This record gives sequence, C-alpha cells and structure tokens, in this order.
Amino acid sequence: METPQGGMTRRDMLGTSGMLLGAITLPGLGLDLAGGAGMQAGTKSGIGYFAQFGVTEDLIRQTLSEALSRGGDYADVYFQHQVSNSLGLEDGIVNRAHTNMALGVGVRVIKGDQTGYGYTEELTLETLKRTARTAAAIADGPAKPGPKGFRVQPIKATRYPVARPWEEIRPSEKLPYLISLNERMFAADPRVKKVTVSFSDSSSVVLIADSLGRLVEDVQPMTSLGLSCVAEQGGKRESGGYNVAGRCDIGFYSADRLERMVREAVARTTILFEAVQAPVGEMPVVLAAGASGILLHEAIGHGMEADFNRKNISIYSDKIGKPIAQKFVHIVDDGTQPGARGAINVDDEGNPAEKTMLVEDGILKTYLHDSISARYYGVAPTGNGRREGYQCAPMPRMRSTYMLPGPHHKDEIIASVKKGIYCTNFTNGEVNIGAGDFTFYVKNGYLIEDGKLTRPIKDVNIIGNGPKVLEKVDMVADDLLIDEGGWTCGKNGQSMPVSQGIPTVRVASITVGGRGTKG
Amino acid sequence: MTMDTLLDIAQSAVKTALAKGAQEVAANLSRSRDVETVWRDGQLEKTQEATSRAIRLTLYVDGRYATVSSSDLRPQALEQFIADSVVLTRALGKDPHRSLPDPKLYAGQAKVDLQLADPRHEAFTAEDRRRLARELEAAARAVPGSDKILSVTGSVNDRSAESYKVHSNGFVGHRKDTSTFLGAEVSVKDPDGRRPEDTSYAGSRFGSELPTAASLGQDAARRTLARVGSKKGDSAVLTMAIDNRAAGRMLAFLLGPLSGAAFQQKRSFLEGKQGTAIGSPLLHLTDDPLIPKGFGSRLYDSEGLAARALPLFENGVLRNGYVDTYYAKKLGTAPTTGGVSNLVWKLGSKDQAALLADFKEGILVTSFLGGNSNGTTGDFSLGVQGFRIRNGHRAEPVGEMNISGNHLEFWKQLTALGNDPYPYSALRTPTLVFEGVQFAGN
Repeated sequence: METPQGGMTRRDMLGTSGMLLGAITLPGLGLDLAGGAGMQAGTKSGIGYFAQFGVTEDLIRQTLSEALSRGGDYADVYFQHQVSNSLGLEDGIVNRAHTNMALGVGVRVIKGDQTGYGYTEELTLETLKRTARTAAAIADGPAKPGPKGFRVQPIKATRYPVARPWEEIRPSEKLPYLISLNERMFAADPRVKKVTVSFSDSSSVVLIADSLGRLVEDVQPMTSLGLSCVAEQGGKRESGGYNVAGRCDIGFYSADRLERMVREAVARTTILFEAVQAPVGEMPVVLAAGASGILLHEAIGHGMEADFNRKNISIYSDKIGKPIAQKFVHIVDDGTQPGARGAINVDDEGNPAEKTMLVEDGILKTYLHDSISARYYGVAPTGNGRREGYQCAPMPRMRSTYMLPGPHHKDEIIASVKKGIYCTNFTNGEVNIGAGDFTFYVKNGYLIEDGKLTRPIKDVNIIGNGPKVLEKVDMVADDLLIDEGGWTCGKNGQSMPVSQGIPTVRVASITVGGRGTKG
Repeated sequence: MTMDTLLDIAQSAVKTALAKGAQEVAANLSRSRDVETVWRDGQLEKTQEATSRAIRLTLYVDGRYATVSSSDLRPQALEQFIADSVVLTRALGKDPHRSLPDPKLYAGQAKVDLQLADPRHEAFTAEDRRRLARELEAAARAVPGSDKILSVTGSVNDRSAESYKVHSNGFVGHRKDTSTFLGAEVSVKDPDGRRPEDTSYAGSRFGSELPTAASLGQDAARRTLARVGSKKGDSAVLTMAIDNRAAGRMLAFLLGPLSGAAFQQKRSFLEGKQGTAIGSPLLHLTDDPLIPKGFGSRLYDSEGLAARALPLFENGVLRNGYVDTYYAKKLGTAPTTGGVSNLVWKLGSKDQAALLADFKEGILVTSFLGGNSNGTTGDFSLGVQGFRIRNGHRAEPVGEMNISGNHLEFWKQLTALGNDPYPYSALRTPTLVFEGVQFAGN
C-alpha cells in the first residue's frame, strides 16, 4: 500500500512534538549490485574513495570558500555514496528485490545557531558552488576565508566487524538464507500459514570536510533480516515476527541467531492465540531485559537531545545536575558498541562517537550534542550529530541507549508485583518532548498475578510522563541486555538506526491502555 | 536540465533495460525542488533549498522482478547500473504473477484539469518565505496569555515536482505539481513544570489559497495555551469525538488492511468481508483521485492505471480494496488501484461544536500519541490527548490517556460525522463521533 499522497501532516514536516520509534517493517525489496569500485575509504591521505567521482581537495576547498562567502561562522560538506539492497521472500519464492544507489553532497553553513543547507546529486564544481551559495545565504556579512588545506583525520575506532564488504556478496549467497528460514518456519509449527522474509544490506561511504580543514572518510555498513508469519488456529489468525540488525557482515547470521529468529517468530505469534485482554488503568509494570529499552528512548532519550534544550522546549531543559531517579539508575547513550545497529566510528559531522552519561547515580548529567548545541553550551561535542543522508542537515540523535545493571534480580522483581503486567516485545513508541508524555506499544507480555507470570497478553499501548515514570523506576535487575532488533528512530522527518537495551526493571505505576479488568 | 532531457533519459533507460535482456520495464524519472524556511524566536533558524532528481526502474527479466533506483544519472553510470540490475534480477526466483499492467487499463484517463501546479509558484521568493515565517511567530506572540510562551517556530515548506513515467508496453505519463505548507509550533510553560507544545498548519497547491500566516500563528498559540493544566482522567467507557485534524490517524488503520497484499497474505481483518457491514451505515467512503487541487489527485496511479473513483464503504458495507496488478493476479481478481488518492466522506450536517452539544459527557480527542493497530486482528490501542466534554461543551484539557478497541466493533459505534472535512490532508476526515469507547487513565 502506498502512503496517501499529500496526506502528510504538519507533524511530518515540522514535528518536534512527536518523535517516533519503530521496529523495522518489511521494506520494499532489493538486489545486489555488481561492478563499481570496492567501498574502501582511503585513510592515507587526501581524497580516497570519492576520487572516482571527480572529488578533489581543490573542489572541496572552493566549495567551502563559497559557503563562507557571506560570513558564515563554519561550513562543512558531506559526500555520500550509498548502495542499499534488499531481497524479499513471499509465498515461498524470493520474488522481489530492490537496489537503491544514492550519490550526493550536502553543504551546510552555520552562523551562530542558524543553519543554511543545500544539496545536489551533481558533483561538479559549478553545481557545488551554486549549492554552497544557497547555504551561504543564512548569513549576511563580509566573506570569511575557507580552509587553506585539509588534515585527514584517521578513523581510530573500528566498530564495524566486516571481513567481507557487502558489495562482494552476490545475491546467490543471500538467497539460501531466505529460503531456509521460510522452510524452517513452516516446519516449526503446522499453524504457520504465511511467511515473509526480508534481507537488507547497505554500505554507505561518507566524506566529511569542514572549514577548519578537517577531513574524514568512513564506510558504514548495515544489515538486517526480518521474519514475519501468519498463523491460524480454530478459525482465528494472528501475525508476528522477529527481526535482527547490526553494522556487520554476513557472518552476523550465525546458526544460533537464525535458529533464535525462527523460534522467537513462531513463539511470539502462536502465543497470541492464548492471549487475554490486557488490563486497563494504572498498575505496576515490569519490563523485560532487552527491547524494553524503548522506555529510555522515549521517556528520556529524546528529551535529552540538546537541540530541544537549546530551544528551551524540552521537559528536561532545566534539570541538568538535578536528581531525577533512584541512585541505582544510570542511563547511557553509547556509540561505541562494536556491530550494534546504533554504533558509529564518527558522527555525521566527523566527531568521534562516545559513550555519554545521561543519568549517573540518578542525577541528570549530559545532553546529547551536535556541534551547534555544543558551541551553544560551551562543551565538547558528544558525537551525536547524525543525519539520514546527504539530503539532510545533522541534528542531535541517539545511538545505542541503555540502562546499566542495578542491584535487584529478575525473579524478585516479578515476585514483588501482586497485580500488574510483564512486557517482553514492542513495536513502536512516541514522545511529546515538552509535555513529556510518551507511549510504547506492547506486542507480547503476560499478566502478573500474585507475583507470578500467568496468562499472555497482546497489543496494548502504555502511556506515561517521562520524568514521573523515571521517578517510579524502583527496581533494576542485574541482567542488562542490548536488543538485537532493527530499531529506527524518526525525528523531523529523518530516520536513523538506533539500538536500545535495559535490564529487567519495575515501574511502580504507569497507565496500561487495555480493555480487560481495571488495574 | 530540462524536462525534455529527463523524458529522454527515461525513454533511453527503458531502451537500455530491454537491450540488456529485460522483457518489460517501467521507468519513472522525477525532479523536485524543495525549500524549507524556519524562523524561531526572533531570528532565522534554518533555510534549506535543493533540486533533486532520481530514476526508478521496475524490471521484469525472465519471469523475475526487481525495482531499482538511483540518483546518479550520469549516462555511463546509469547504463552500467541498469546492466548490473538486469543481471542480478536473474538471480531471483521466478514468479508467474509479475508483469506490467494490461495496457487496456492505461486507457480512459479523465479529461479534467486537476490544477495541481500553481503557475505562480516560481515567483515565490526567499523574502516572501521569510516574511511569512516571521509573521507566524509574531501572530502567535500577540495572543492573550502569550507571556507563558517559551518558544515559537514558524516554518514555510514548499515544493515543486515534475515526473515522467515511461512503460515498455506503451504508457507515457507526465505530471507536475506544487504545494506550499505554512506552520507554527508553540511551546508554553505550564505551572506544573511541563512544556506543552502544539502546532497549527495549512497547505495548498496554490499559494494564494492558503489561510493567512497571522491566523495560523494565533491558532497555534491558542491550541497550545489550551493544553496548560492538562490532567489524566479516570479510566472509563465514554463517547469520543475525534477532531477532524486527528482523525486521519484512525482512518489509516482501516485503509492499511484494505490492500491487496494484506488480503492475499491473510494479514487483514477485512479479508473475505467484501459485501458485509464493517461499520455503521454512516461509514460511506469513496476514493476519488479526480478532485481538482487535491493532495492525492492524479490522472493515473503509480502503475499507470487510469484513475477513477473507487467505492470503499457504502452505508457501512465493504465494497473494494486497493488491489494492484500483482496482487490482483495472485488473488484472481481485477486490479483497482494500488494506493490511496483522496477520500470523500458522506458528511454530516453539523459542525464540531454542534456535534459536541449533543454529548452529555465524553472526550474530544485532538491528537494521538503513538500506539498501534494489529491489521490481522483489528485490535488497536492508542495514546490520546484532548478535552473533556461536559454538558455539551468543551471543558478542561486531558492527556496521558489511551483508547483501545477492535476495528470490527469500533466502526459500528460511529454515530455521527461533522460537516468539516479536514482540508490539509488527502484523507479529508471530518470530526468523527464514536460511542462506548474504552479510555484508560487513572
């Protein structure tokens, strides 16, 4: 189904009010691409990978000079060449493929906290200078000099475990994964009636150079595999699935991982036949280790992105240095986990990605910064300046957001709840930055009755208010798990791959939007 | 690059694909110019401007199917890309249901001028955009109570786009459109420490038909100030009105399961229900692609099929879904169209205030927050905020609440529609009133 043309709402265009997070849905579908140069960024000197497209240091220097021709404080260029492939299986056949090739450059000019931006797909000097003049118009003063030369910034971190780059993997090597998963799904349970499988991979090579003379190239891989099924029992149908993603090569798909995918996809779907209505109203909610990190993404992560705070519109705008949670609550946003979907060597402004403490000992510590907000607050960038691609200006975005292990145990947490729910799987969430209200949608869970998991529940949304809910996190277990799923975060129209994780935690009270008995 | 050149590229791409071994091919060549102007708290926040282009090809090779797209239109690069794509399509499995549409379905395009492109769009200047963005802020800050305002962002987003579609079995289409959206977003300080935000926005294909920036700025400030003091209500079963601006979200959950893919893949609670009552008799909905100036208007759909009106629900009874060529073959039916254009509702006679006057008690939902709907079973659960309705009047703001239900019951609880189709979305939803809705709160 196409999205309704022009059915966009103002929120899609402007929308700092609603930040969306969702699991990967089965994408459109694709195929591998032969030929072309291998995607190896040159880190020795000058221009590496992009030389094949006619990009030279002189071209970049002239572009940046043009970008500062009206007095901007700072300018950068972001070249990107990305090849994305996907393959889809439906009704037993790998019968669809999609390949997208994106080649372009974005030019950004900053004046104070103002941004001018332009982009083009034509990498010629004339077009680049015209694009730079468009971006330059954010300022209105005498020209400033561009960089005289460039210092190549070597990539120190290697967070992408890739022995074989994706452009070397032929479709014939990928097809067996889809075909085998399909067969194993049907073999796993006779109630399975329909299966779809989607395999995606991409390589994005970026070159970032700025008016300070910094130049950095990075090759950013990504892959994901999604499994989805429909099952029938007694005339009823249920659908469910499982997906995994990482900045890895094809070795990511180990026998263990594939087996887990089949097991989880079938179990998460067929248990829905036993599910009862979730209860309604405020009650204790226990969140399982792993994907429940969606709580952190919505309840605090977005509100800590420094652009909202610079504009004074986040509910966390006046809370740095203040206690907001119990002393055993520590929350980080981390770009450094090798292979994670949210990992990056450098952010999309060329700054090294770090591990950033959002909350330490229950105290709010650090916002997530891009270079604009870092200058505004007079702090070092945290490596959170990210963008969807060359068509977009960067802004502060999360990477992998999780809570550190705490003093409790999973069993004692569940045993502590007389009447509540336990949530295991999620599809999506959203937050209003200023009011602080957020939601997340629970696909699978259980009732907790007298300290025990009893009947399964399904399809229920949970709604709370960020700071109030963080105050109510009163138990944190020692079983931190980073979810392997393919989470994508949406903000101001830009999609960004992220990770999340959490140990088992208890929220003492939050509103559960079910239709069953009152909590 | 002129559009003639782009048509040349599309035609040449089709020829190349056929020469490299494809039996059928569809090419879509598009170019768009997008300009964004954002003004925040007394100064320009951001300007972005770009002209972008891309090619998209659908390839049918030896019974196999792939779609490929690229922004690299350099002739040699494109030729290599197409050659590689054809070779790699051959690696897939054969699917007998894949083909271009029957050319008979291309014929019979409506002879109407849809008026999708504003000839004066080119005359819209950077100064015009900045003035409007500034006016949006000024108007918001001029309303009573504006001392509570923390921040105002005014923005202008406009776009002009042109595309050619060329199919190897005879279709050639050309389309040109423009649109301009104005919006204001306001954040205010609530004494309880929260910073509620809301927006007001409007869009039009013709710049001259937009409401004034001043009216939108004022509306954004009023909407946001009305959120101050919002509280969670008690869990209860209540009558619910959904504001026309918000109702599209709920409708989209009904449209998704109407796709041919959802029917064929058994992922639709509407599958097999054609001819049966899904909603109350008030649910009467037609997809109409031929509305002049409509955001979803088109003479042909994404497959080149000549666009025509499609009844979806008649007096509550499901009539048709959105079935494209591929899923029509798999289902053994005739294709309708693969995607939503504009929706036309059988409207009620009252405006929202008059509808609310009939309420003893209930909630007016003005926006949704997150949540989801299970397209296979129809179960849904969504965060909401809005206003309590007491004695027929809008009363205090409520938030941090949730509604839940199942679409197969929910649409039968539709008891009234407003006369107020929302003009800034192709879904054109009026205010909708439902009885007996489960709200969750305290």
